[in-house]
Amino acid sequence: MIQLSGLTKRYGDRLVVDDLTFTVRPGLVTGFLGPNGAGKSTTMRMILGLDRPTAGQATIDGRHHHELPRPLRVIGSMLESQAVHPRRTAYKHLLYLAQTNDLPASRVHEVLDTVGLADVAGRPAGGFSLGMSQRLGLAAALLGDPPVLLLDEPVNGLDPEGVRWVRTLIRGLAAEGRTVLVSSHLMAEMALTADRLVVIGKGRLIAEGELGAFTETGAAVIVRTPGAAAFGRRLERAGARVRAGEGGELLVTGLSMPDVGRLACAESVPLEELSTRRGSLEEAFMELTGDAVEYGAAR
Amino acid sequence: MIEMGVLRAEWTKFSSIRATMVLSLVTVAVSGLFGWMFGNVSATEYAATSAQERLGFQPLDMGMRGVFIAQLLIAALGVLVASSEYGSGTIRASLAAVGGRGRLLAAKAGMTVLTALPVSVAAIWVMYAVSQVTLAAGGAPYLMPGDPAASRMLLLGPVVLTMLALFGLALGFLLRTTAAAVNAGTAFLLLPVLASASPAPVRDFIQNFWPNTTAFQALSGTSALPPVVAYGLFVGFVAVMMIGAFVRFDRQDT
Repeated sequence: MIQLSGLTKRYGDRLVVDDLTFTVRPGLVTGFLGPNGAGKSTTMRMILGLDRPTAGQATIDGRHHHELPRPLRVIGSMLESQAVHPRRTAYKHLLYLAQTNDLPASRVHEVLDTVGLADVAGRPAGGFSLGMSQRLGLAAALLGDPPVLLLDEPVNGLDPEGVRWVRTLIRGLAAEGRTVLVSSHLMAEMALTADRLVVIGKGRLIAEGELGAFTETGAAVIVRTPGAAAFGRRLERAGARVRAGEGGELLVTGLSMPDVGRLACAESVPLEELSTRRGSLEEAFMELTGDAVEYGAAR
Repeated sequence: MIEMGVLRAEWTKFSSIRATMVLSLVTVAVSGLFGWMFGNVSATEYAATSAQERLGFQPLDMGMRGVFIAQLLIAALGVLVASSEYGSGTIRASLAAVGGRGRLLAAKAGMTVLTALPVSVAAIWVMYAVSQVTLAAGGAPYLMPGDPAASRMLLLGPVVLTMLALFGLALGFLLRTTAAAVNAGTAFLLLPVLASASPAPVRDFIQNFWPNTTAFQALSGTSALPPVVAYGLFVGFVAVMMIGAFVRFDRQDT
């Protein structure tokens, strides 16, 4: 379990992480979502004791990172996957990390097998592709068989097969009862991987909850009819919220599809389409972070 | 205080990068080379001087002048132990794995001593042996290892060089990039050589009190200060640098 309370980081007069309080629970994949520059990486670095918080604190199973005698056995992390010495082999990179926590060399071979790098373990990591580097980063995170995992953008730069492999791995780790926090700026990926979401923008907590709660916000009943304007007003009188879609259709919330159908029948309104639409996480994300994007495209 | 696992990891890092291993060997090779060079030059000089001047000939000091170059390489070795981690970005992975910053710094200091000491012993002994043999071959006086001055150089010389490796390590932590730390270290250590061109009060201060000069003068028995003060000044200086490195490492984000 990871607990953040009032976690704040300020660089000069720039507030990068602003009073973050949330808990990452075991047994679930928690997606840590936010636009680029929202403060996700800074937050993760503070959890790992790499950056000093300006205020507040982050604890792992109740302890600060620097209080852990063998940190890799408690929390595995993957920050920038390219942070390996280019001349050092993948094996030696993992070996030195294992030695700091008194883990046996056999454990290095195990994780190399897990991530599929056993064949290239003797090669300098500087020659690795982005995908191979990501796998090496994951191997390092798994070394200590830790109950808590912290992964910063683990699918960045992977091909579709690699993305699927990471997704399966992450879900498997959570299913074993581990605490997993995965950051991403890709909402579509999080929709497939995460059970819970924590959304931040400009360093502040915007929303937090089950994945389902996020997708519900965009759900609507779609109505297409020649007399859209009049029927829209009728639906509003019945208590619905109505918006016009891009193709002239009505997007109705607050009223179920059968209710809309019965109303249309009673009013003898001809319907060309009556359907429901599930909300997309992407839409919910854009709605939530719309004014929190640090460097939005000019409109 | 130093944990074995973390120290073993430091050795894995040190030995898996060519730069550190090459630098270690180069330091010893260069020491031998300068021992031969200064031995040769001194023997030639000796042959050309008058009988009166020959009485003041110092075979040990003449032969060991290359220490001023060897100290730069040893300090660079210490720099690399810290700066190679900042350069490649592995400092974060290392720190996330080790936890407490004091534990990582202590292991790096231990690693620096354990690698710099054998390199320093080899460098000083090779330089001594080559220079004195070259002097003898050139018909000049030389010093046998049993002589107190020679023994002092052979036993304490490596210790002084190892302390300079710790000075390099501290600079690596303080400045974080190899180039900046090596340049700063080189400038600092060579200042006494360059100071002869400066005004007398400045020159006298630097030539009597600059940390590495006091140590080298105490080694060769030419220091104006009592040995305890001379070595104490040097050791105290390195200790202050290490404390500065720890404070910066402990407080700053990585």
